[in-house]
Amino acid sequence: MRFSRCHQPGAAVVFRRRLPSSRSTNSSNRPLNMSFTVEERGNPNSLSYRLFFKNTEGKYISPFHDIPIYADESQNIFHMVVEVPRWTNAKMEIATKDFLNPIKQDVKKGKLRYVANVFPHKGYIWNYGAIPQTWEDPAHKDGDTDCCGDNDPIDVCEIGSRVCTRGEVIKVKVLGVLAMIDEGETDWKVIAINVEDPEAKEFNNISDVKRLKPGYLEATVDWFKRYKVPDGKPENRFAFNEEFKDKDFAIKVIKSTHGFWKALICQQTNAGELNCKNTCVSAGDSPFCCSADEAKAAVGETCPCGKEEPIPSSVDKWFYYERK
Amino acid sequence: MRPQLLRSSLGCLVTLLSPFPASCTNKGVTRTAAAVTSLYYSRKMMHYQTEERGHPNSPDYRIYFKTSDGKYISPFHDIPLKAESEKDNDVPAKKPKSEMKVLYNMVVEVPRWSNAKMEIATKEPLNPIKQDVKKGKLRYVANIFPHKGYIWNYGALPQTWEDPNHKDKETNCCGDNDPIDVCDIGTQVCSPGQVIQVKVLGILAMIDEGEMDWKVIAINANDPDAEKLNCIEDVRRSRPGHLEATVEWFRKYKVPDGKPENQFGFNEEFKDKDFAVEIIESTHEHWRALVHKQTHAGGIECKNMSCCGSPFQFSAEEARAVVQSAPAFGNAHPVSAEVNKWHFV
Repeated sequence: MRFSRCHQPGAAVVFRRRLPSSRSTNSSNRPLNMSFTVEERGNPNSLSYRLFFKNTEGKYISPFHDIPIYADESQNIFHMVVEVPRWTNAKMEIATKDFLNPIKQDVKKGKLRYVANVFPHKGYIWNYGAIPQTWEDPAHKDGDTDCCGDNDPIDVCEIGSRVCTRGEVIKVKVLGVLAMIDEGETDWKVIAINVEDPEAKEFNNISDVKRLKPGYLEATVDWFKRYKVPDGKPENRFAFNEEFKDKDFAIKVIKSTHGFWKALICQQTNAGELNCKNTCVSAGDSPFCCSADEAKAAVGETCPCGKEEPIPSSVDKWFYYERK
Repeated sequence: MRPQLLRSSLGCLVTLLSPFPASCTNKGVTRTAAAVTSLYYSRKMMHYQTEERGHPNSPDYRIYFKTSDGKYISPFHDIPLKAESEKDNDVPAKKPKSEMKVLYNMVVEVPRWSNAKMEIATKEPLNPIKQDVKKGKLRYVANIFPHKGYIWNYGALPQTWEDPNHKDKETNCCGDNDPIDVCDIGTQVCSPGQVIQVKVLGILAMIDEGEMDWKVIAINANDPDAEKLNCIEDVRRSRPGHLEATVEWFRKYKVPDGKPENQFGFNEEFKDKDFAVEIIESTHEHWRALVHKQTHAGGIECKNMSCCGSPFQFSAEEARAVVQSAPAFGNAHPVSAEVNKWHFV
């Protein structure tokens, strides 16, 4: 995959993707068929655990920078990197500050982070993850939320039937977006559905979710509002009176975070602590490009995959709150 | 093996069963679960072990029960209803100092948040736990939004029986031919076949497909909140929403299978602990009549190891032969992705 030359700083950046095979994208029935695999390193449920990504050619890639944002740009079908399967608790994330940005478990105060079960919910209530090649810029104050970005790729809640696996890369239809303000930072939550869901054809906008899965959107607000309360944090807030914005608005937001990412990868924006190394954005476009060998060597230095650690039983606790 | 089972049905949800040490014996896998001593007065520790046979998520899967000295028993007939010292089950136990301090044994069939409909097989010798089959297919309970699987550890009180020949006065419905069901609202996620001691807190009068199907609400005596919870009102206060969710769950859980919503007696209200204890005692008496051949068994396997005076006695050799004829324990079969569907009803 190669990108055309990056223009002068300040000018519009154009990325054109050329595929190794000649698959066309002129039909919604034939989305791009890129496949990705994951390689587990370290022990699941421990500090050593890492999930590295490889493309079809077996080259290590960054799920943040090297997976294309679009599976089918003409149809607004996006890639989604699944971090947390529905109904699980381990807070897995793309490690934006680590080389090759593997998925790893978040750590807070030296302990592995597991999200609380806030009654009636069990773990996460959707497959949760991120859209690659997007970034909520912390230097940018959002006009709607009046808060700066959270320095992460944009988050997605995938509402399809199937429970995905950690590290899976799926294609999703965007349906809407929720403007959450998490600990004072803008934290958009895109609502989407796996294109392979048996009911995907019925879902084309946020109103379809209200109609076909009644209560799901309310539960989503409820979940995000309270999920950190058991950890002693206050309830989260939302813009737009806690309402979901529709598909067109969501796509605009995603494209805007894609713009921030492009500036980041071209070094037009200060990366701060973010690791922008990548193996697929061509050397002409990104000063952060690194070789496949360098990537392979780095992965080789991590702990080999080992036995899964048990999850502490405290993770099963159910927290109860009175609803106001 | 157990992590494999859960991984296939729940994505990356990890094993619920790792706290239990497992050992392989005679082609089965034995797990040991200790019963806990009471907080109130000392009881003899009762240890029950389980022995798995066949393949989890398949029709041949069985969980057999045995005592700590390896004697096979029936979880239906041979585990005492009340968690008291081991003695012949047929001799009525001494009344405890105060009703408040009575703990009951509960046989856990379905862990919280799981879907496989595991049940004590009332019609099989030794009454092992197995997965229910309907219309030739293994049964998995639907996920009724916002719930995932069962919302409590679910199981049965041993030595109880809802007699189908007996019509309940309030609901005018006959019993469902099973031991009485219990919902444990404690925080720990238990395993199928685990025997725990519970405090009874209340009861719900459900009518499932026209049959009386009481649901006892109880809490694991080991739970950090157990001491604070003594009646149904305590549950309402400390776990807001859970009782309402319980009614909704039971109302709707068969709708995705094409059945109608279930109904309830007493205007869907939870009756308090004293009433619950009365119902439990009455189902205990029905069970006693059953194993003493005073009631028509109707397909129920009454063979037991320990009920003095019961005409249905197993010998240890007979029991061992039953277990040994079961297929060897093997890898879990995969679970269909259908089981993860979330139903909006």
